[in-house]
Amino acid sequence: MKRDKIIIANRGEIAIRIMRACRQLGLDYVVVYTEEDRHSGHVRAATVEKGKGAAFKIANYKDPNEIFAVADHCGATAVHPGYGFFSEDFRFARRAAARNRPITFIGPRWEVIRDLGSKINTKRIAKALKIPVIPGSDEPIYSELEAESLAEDLFQKQREDGVKRPSILVKASAGGGGMGIEEVTHLDVFRQVYRRIQNYAKRQFGDEGVLIEQCMKDYHHLEVQLLCSRHKEVVHFGTRNCTIQSTGRQKRVEVAPGFDPDYVAYPFDAQKVLDQIVEYSIRLAKEVEYDNVGTWEWIVTRDGKPYLLEVNTRIQVENEISACISRISRYKGPVNLIKEQIRTALGEKLRYSQKHVSFEGTSIELRIVAEDVKRGFAPWCGTITRFEFRQEPWLRVYSHVPQDEPYEIPTEYDPNLALAIVWGKDTEEAKTRAKEFLLNTNIEGKDNLGRPIVTNLQYLYRKVDDILRFV
Amino acid sequence: MEINLKDLLKKYKSHPYEDHEIRTPHTGVVHINVEDGQEVSGPTGLWNHRPGTLLYVLEREGNPKHITSKYTGFVTKLRKELDGSFVQAGEPVMLIRHRLNKEEIIDRILREVLYIFPAPQRARYFFTPEVSAAMEKDKKKAINLKEGDEILIMSLMKRDTLLSYEGPAGVLYKVYFKHGDLMEQGTPLLGICSPERLPFVEKMIQRIRTEWDD
Repeated sequence: MKRDKIIIANRGEIAIRIMRACRQLGLDYVVVYTEEDRHSGHVRAATVEKGKGAAFKIANYKDPNEIFAVADHCGATAVHPGYGFFSEDFRFARRAAARNRPITFIGPRWEVIRDLGSKINTKRIAKALKIPVIPGSDEPIYSELEAESLAEDLFQKQREDGVKRPSILVKASAGGGGMGIEEVTHLDVFRQVYRRIQNYAKRQFGDEGVLIEQCMKDYHHLEVQLLCSRHKEVVHFGTRNCTIQSTGRQKRVEVAPGFDPDYVAYPFDAQKVLDQIVEYSIRLAKEVEYDNVGTWEWIVTRDGKPYLLEVNTRIQVENEISACISRISRYKGPVNLIKEQIRTALGEKLRYSQKHVSFEGTSIELRIVAEDVKRGFAPWCGTITRFEFRQEPWLRVYSHVPQDEPYEIPTEYDPNLALAIVWGKDTEEAKTRAKEFLLNTNIEGKDNLGRPIVTNLQYLYRKVDDILRFV
Repeated sequence: MEINLKDLLKKYKSHPYEDHEIRTPHTGVVHINVEDGQEVSGPTGLWNHRPGTLLYVLEREGNPKHITSKYTGFVTKLRKELDGSFVQAGEPVMLIRHRLNKEEIIDRILREVLYIFPAPQRARYFFTPEVSAAMEKDKKKAINLKEGDEILIMSLMKRDTLLSYEGPAGVLYKVYFKHGDLMEQGTPLLGICSPERLPFVEKMIQRIRTEWDD
């Protein structure tokens, strides 16, 4: 493993975290970047540590030929896709494995990505294993008439179930990360929304397939973090709660563990539900012989009913809050799930089992984004002139925004600025610390008309009070 | 808006050139095919179907990409030292000094005559499905625009925003982008001509055609 060299096929803070994991494992790495990202912190960090030859300018992060050409040129033996881009692209993973000069894809086997990458297929496998799933289509719909008929059935079913304001979700089948989803509350506007999502899906993903499912209201969005090896070992790193999201269903505040009965009195047995979703997730992972890190996404309704949403066959943005509350008795120091992901992808055994994993405290992730919360979370474009926060022993901040020079936010990508990971011995302490961090963070900047920067710092401050509660 | 066509033509006549930097579109190994100072031609044929002079070959993943000249002119500032080496995306390889022809002069001057609707942000732009369909259905039919008409989709940071037209009512005379192009902030997207100005624009084009010698 020490001889492996990783090409990091991603950008921003995740590239920085992968670099850190490589460093801890003693692995060499190279990064790639686009013209728009030339001032990004990940490029600077790589060139400072490894020299100019460690950063390659490419045309596009989404062009596999670019990644493989640079991999060959610099002798990389493995590719880390991060999240987004190629992380859940089974064709990319298959090509990495099948080319004349194979390189290791740091993620699950391509067959697993293919089978679980499709929400529809996941739903089918889950149903067969008696794992609860959300009512709706279990294959992409391309016909407007078929879509409308299913929508009608779903509205009818909700009325029969006594749902006061029935609604459905129309989703781009090939989408993910909350993009390309709209809610429909009346059947008479369904066609209009269907056409809009179909157009969006065609433009963004090249596939106009659409999914339709019942829109669950009043629920919490939970996740189960699994780590599996190529040697059929399965370990879980607990649960997370990702309920606080923007209107576009982009996560903004995440908490580990997923529920905390010592902090909130739930109208159901919270620990039992957490154990249940972990058990279901492991059941599915074993069925498909899952072999890397993965996240099982769940929704849990106010009455404590869990439904499997999807499986993300990659490292998640929020992985570190799970790592932050996890302790491995055979390990010294903090858990690093990206490091574990690389190790297992390169064929190593875990060297520990579930009985060696314990949990301590609460961790909160805050996603700092340049966006106008009051205008529907509209992204803000401009130049950041000041980005400062106070260093604390209970805090980790990951950002590609330089702290010593102006930084123009590229309009090609999400306007995410930083991730802050806070730990506390219990939820109350984690909350207090999260607020303290936000109060001591300063971000300044201007757009091209000279107007001051807009960020979500105040929104995050308000939302910290809502964590883990059904509000 | 008053346009002094005589002065404009004089300006272009004194320096009728544009320099085009030729950069690598992606990574790969470069094999240069031209010399410094060499004359090169752009695409030719009725539909520009015959490619221009081969400038260099960029080989990536065993696939050679033939980069041909999009402009007629001559090669300057050729970076011969790149020949045979692996380059990153966006690496400058040469400049092509191109002499503007009659149609290009018309295009440049039109930008000063038409009302230009610029890109509000650096983003990708698309016509709305309704406008696209109308253009597709009858390519010759004029598209009339008035303030508030939803005409474009701006795709920025993975979010789509509908753009309404802002400016004087008129006919969509010129489109400066291709479906889904990434356009810099402030660059022209659409050129609009008011109905009363149309005869003047047509006359101006006629005059340039007569006066400009290719």
